[in-house]
Amino acid sequence: MERSFAAEVKQLTLGEGQVLRGEGILAITKALLQSGVSYVGGYPGAPVSHLLDVLADANESLLKPMGVYLDASANEAAAAALLGASINYPMRGAVTWKSIVGTNVAADALSNLSSAGVIGGALIVVGEDYGAGASVIQERTHAFALKSSLLLIDPRPTLPTLARMVEEAFGMSEASNLPAVISLRIRAAHMRGSMVCRDNVRPAVGMNSRLERHSFDYGRLSHPPSTYVQEAQKFERRLPAARRYIVERGLNETIPGEDKSIGIILQGGLTPTALRALELLGMADPFGQSRVPMLVLNVIHPLVPDQLLGFLEGKARVLVLEEGMPSFIEQELKALAHDHGLTTRIHGKDVVAAQGEYVPEVVLAALARFLGEDAERRRRVLTEHVGRGRAALRTPLPKRPPAFCTGCPERPVFSALKIAQRELGETHVAADIGCHAFATLPPFNQGNTILGYGMSVASASAVAPNFDRRVISILGDGGFWHSGLTAGVANAVYNKQDSIVVVLENFYTSATGQQANPSSGKNPRGDRVTMSIADTIKSLGVSWIKTVNPYRVADTLKVIREAMTTAAGGLKVIIARAECQLERQRRVKPETAKRLRAGERVETPRFGVDPDVCTGDKSCMRFNGCPSLTLKENPDPLRDDPVAHVDQSCVGCGLCGEVAHAAVLCPSFYEARVVHNPGALARGLAGARRHVIGWLQPA
Amino acid sequence: MAARRPVSILIGALGGHGGGVLTEWIVGAAAHAGYPAQSTSIPGVAQRTGATTYYVEIFPERTEVGAEPVFSLYPTPGDVDVIVASELLEAARAVETDYASPARTTVIASTHRLFSIAEKSVPGDGTVPREVLEAGIRALGRRFIGFDALALARQHQTEVNALLLGALAASEVVPMTAADFEAAIREGGVAVDRNVRGLKAGIELVAAGEAGAPAPRRDRPWPEVRAERAAALGTRGAEFLSLAARAESEFPEALLAVLGEALARLIDYQDARHAESFLESVRRVHALDSGTRLTQIFAKRLAVWMTYEDAIRVADLKTRRGRFERIRREQGAPEDAVLVVTDYLKPDLDELYGLLPASIGGPIARWAEQRWPEGRPTIGQHVKTTSVLGFLRVWLMARLRWLRPSSLRRQREFALMSRWEEAVLTAARLDESLACEVAELATVVRGYGEVRRRLSLATRRFLDETVLPAIESDRQAARGYDRSTASIREGRRHLLADENATRLPLPSGERTSVRPAASPSLRGRGQG
Repeated sequence: MERSFAAEVKQLTLGEGQVLRGEGILAITKALLQSGVSYVGGYPGAPVSHLLDVLADANESLLKPMGVYLDASANEAAAAALLGASINYPMRGAVTWKSIVGTNVAADALSNLSSAGVIGGALIVVGEDYGAGASVIQERTHAFALKSSLLLIDPRPTLPTLARMVEEAFGMSEASNLPAVISLRIRAAHMRGSMVCRDNVRPAVGMNSRLERHSFDYGRLSHPPSTYVQEAQKFERRLPAARRYIVERGLNETIPGEDKSIGIILQGGLTPTALRALELLGMADPFGQSRVPMLVLNVIHPLVPDQLLGFLEGKARVLVLEEGMPSFIEQELKALAHDHGLTTRIHGKDVVAAQGEYVPEVVLAALARFLGEDAERRRRVLTEHVGRGRAALRTPLPKRPPAFCTGCPERPVFSALKIAQRELGETHVAADIGCHAFATLPPFNQGNTILGYGMSVASASAVAPNFDRRVISILGDGGFWHSGLTAGVANAVYNKQDSIVVVLENFYTSATGQQANPSSGKNPRGDRVTMSIADTIKSLGVSWIKTVNPYRVADTLKVIREAMTTAAGGLKVIIARAECQLERQRRVKPETAKRLRAGERVETPRFGVDPDVCTGDKSCMRFNGCPSLTLKENPDPLRDDPVAHVDQSCVGCGLCGEVAHAAVLCPSFYEARVVHNPGALARGLAGARRHVIGWLQPA
Repeated sequence: MAARRPVSILIGALGGHGGGVLTEWIVGAAAHAGYPAQSTSIPGVAQRTGATTYYVEIFPERTEVGAEPVFSLYPTPGDVDVIVASELLEAARAVETDYASPARTTVIASTHRLFSIAEKSVPGDGTVPREVLEAGIRALGRRFIGFDALALARQHQTEVNALLLGALAASEVVPMTAADFEAAIREGGVAVDRNVRGLKAGIELVAAGEAGAPAPRRDRPWPEVRAERAAALGTRGAEFLSLAARAESEFPEALLAVLGEALARLIDYQDARHAESFLESVRRVHALDSGTRLTQIFAKRLAVWMTYEDAIRVADLKTRRGRFERIRREQGAPEDAVLVVTDYLKPDLDELYGLLPASIGGPIARWAEQRWPEGRPTIGQHVKTTSVLGFLRVWLMARLRWLRPSSLRRQREFALMSRWEEAVLTAARLDESLACEVAELATVVRGYGEVRRRLSLATRRFLDETVLPAIESDRQAARGYDRSTASIREGRRHLLADENATRLPLPSGERTSVRPAASPSLRGRGQG
């Protein structure tokens, strides 16, 4: 695991009236326990991974005693299907994943779930990975809620509101028999604040108070003819019930404001951005007292027509702030106003940027345009410096894309792939989701397509037979177990695909924080598991399987070359096996420090570059890209260009030397192995050697 | 409207560089002082070396429960009070993206650089000049507190983020006191002493007003350096001093340092005759040089070229006492620790027969280049140069200096070198800037083995097919030499930036039946 969550786990046990301090995602996790969930599951993905990470750490001390089951779902589809428990039984359950991608994977199970309907509250916590810092395709979850009739909550981001909305979501889900989705933006998930807690509630049905009887009701099967009845129920009974609940429980918030002729309707998640913009434009105070009336929609599906009409009443102009496209809220509002013959002018995407994250600049501009000259003037004053920074810096600054960590075992594989393609000609590389997607960036620039998690091999299916060189698919162990096994490898074997699959097995789902996966040897709860990628692939009938130690670049290169050139048809699988270096260092560093303190013998290998031997052609950078391999000023008074330099962060993985060797770059690299506390004999020998060498040695 | 507003702090750090901890300290200090605060972050792929930003808002007044201020999750351009950056480029990035405004923003940044991959992978120098970054920050910031926090962290046995926290505490932009910040570190409970030391050092630094002042760079006076160089040359020091004296009598002050360094290098590399022939060439160019700019550039480039890195040179550099001392220092190896150095060497046949007299090496070369047109075999080896036998192997190679003057490699290097020298002289007769550009072309010839062979070939062709014709057409058109000067500058950049010019060869000893799709220029060998 990326880090220990001991502190967070402790906060999960807080009781009535005690104050929790932490991130938004922790508040939501605590609220699940306060709502009496029977089971929790999901698949890790920023920005919601920590929900599962924390609960995994809390499993023994907290969940088990409460009788709450924690499921390590294999992927989002499995997590969505997990919620099936709430169809027949009065069990509250929650699952989490990154949206939009996770929701896409879960879509089939979600449709079935919401058609059948639930009697126990079912909640999906999605990380709305949209806007700056997002790592996935830019789509919103809203459309899923509309097509499958899911309740969609976009809460105002404060810890107390997040917690309250989770608790209400279960109530609303049970009142309407519809699954609820709570959508959490990146910054809201990582927002640190505080809230007052309530006691945790033991689930009515759980591992400590099990069901005794199964429940059979054909009406709850999403199978014809039930499906026809269920469709009618959604719109005749379930959504109306949800609307009643929203009003009765006051889930949406109204800020009165004195300027009655205008108003703003917005997604709850945008509230602080809008209130700050209003403050800067002189229309609100720092405490959120706005002069413009506002309707804050914490629930964006379903909308409540009466509530909207009530807000529109007597207003000349209303602005809708709705992030993303299509503008479902704006459209529904306009249709509603039209049907009721209202004359209120409804603004939305006509004054705000259509797509993209609603950052302050965007909202500020929209509000200034909506509010008129005085606001525009204040905005101009605030932003008069905009653009001058770019001018002052003259050149556009180089980007700093994420890259493989120092000593990462995935980097050498791409060094080898790059060398191999120089030699055998470049080929199509199907990339996948995971840290290895960084290989699509400089210096490797490897990867022609990304079609989703675990989809690399499948995405090459039509390229392989139509490409005159063998194509290569990259698959991490996370992606392999998520869906690459079936959609990728099995599919390729079934279709007799003649191509190469490189599986990067690092024993964790690393990109999201080293969560356990079936290659880790244990599940997140700590139960031992023995699942092997090699054996699994063998069992599919693949005979060409080679496992390599990625740090041995020359060996990896040899295997890649063989895979590219062998007469053998079918799938050729190369498994590059080595532990995620981040995780390894977390283990090794403290151990080394301890042994040093204890005066034990410790060898610390690190690499270096002789500055007077380096001529600065930088080939090493272009085949390596290690963060610790950097530049320094040339110590040579007659040379101007900087030279290569390995800084203190080097972990001695040896890649730079291996690449310089395998690729025959230059003789500048050396390994310097410092032997601490070597012992008398070794020290004596070393002294003798230094003495002998000393005779011959020039200064 | 309440007068009091939240204080906003934007933090730009790099994955794994303590930005998260810094943020927690700030929020903790606010909590300790009783001020409402909120933080958030875009960790994205934190710890994966990408740029990571954190954002904190603090309300500078104690408030009752239920009457909390509204905190934004985003910084607003024009409304940012402090930008803290753990590295200079990240501070400049905040300026580029409009978060710094002259009316409001204090910029606190470490001035050390961590180069982006784009900067690192350009052959030659692709780094963004520090001055450009600092100028941008000064232009858009209300106040700039900049210091090399990395160097200071090493010096004070502390961390970069603790020093930055100290600077923030001392900047008087946030309502918390030094005591609040220290309490936050103690409550954090991680490496408390180390971090508190950093906090205090940061506070003192700003209080003393040292921060923000650009670091002075002084070049040592030549006489001082001359003595050092002479000493380093040992028995050959006398020859060096007499040559240096001759140069000093002949050339203007401005050139002495460069010429002196060059002479020392050439004698160290070969002998006094080698150094004298260098002075000969410099004389010819200087005769045509109105000032010293051209001679300066030409002398630097020629000296480096005349000391090209053949196996003998590499072996020599790898076996020097100073080298092992430097490595010990860099690795921070304690006195009682044992140091084991393993060198990754991989000479190819070209390298070895290159050492033979041209009369013998030439025919061998012709045969070998036909036998292995894709590149000659290499002798890959990992040599423990801290072991007696390993050291001997390399040391013996370094003794072969006597082979050099008649060697095939020398013949080949000097053929191209004199071509370049002629071009410089031709240009020098016409236009100074033009001549300087031609002189700079020498920097293209770099690297080892195949890389160097290809760059040499590219340079020769560029000289013959582009440089000289361009100069000639400018001369005939009598329109000045701006066009040819520009095209030569462009050409040099292109030759260096073109990755194909440093394409990778076949790895050692491996053979494959498959022919490369790409040009033969893929093939080759490095040396070592």
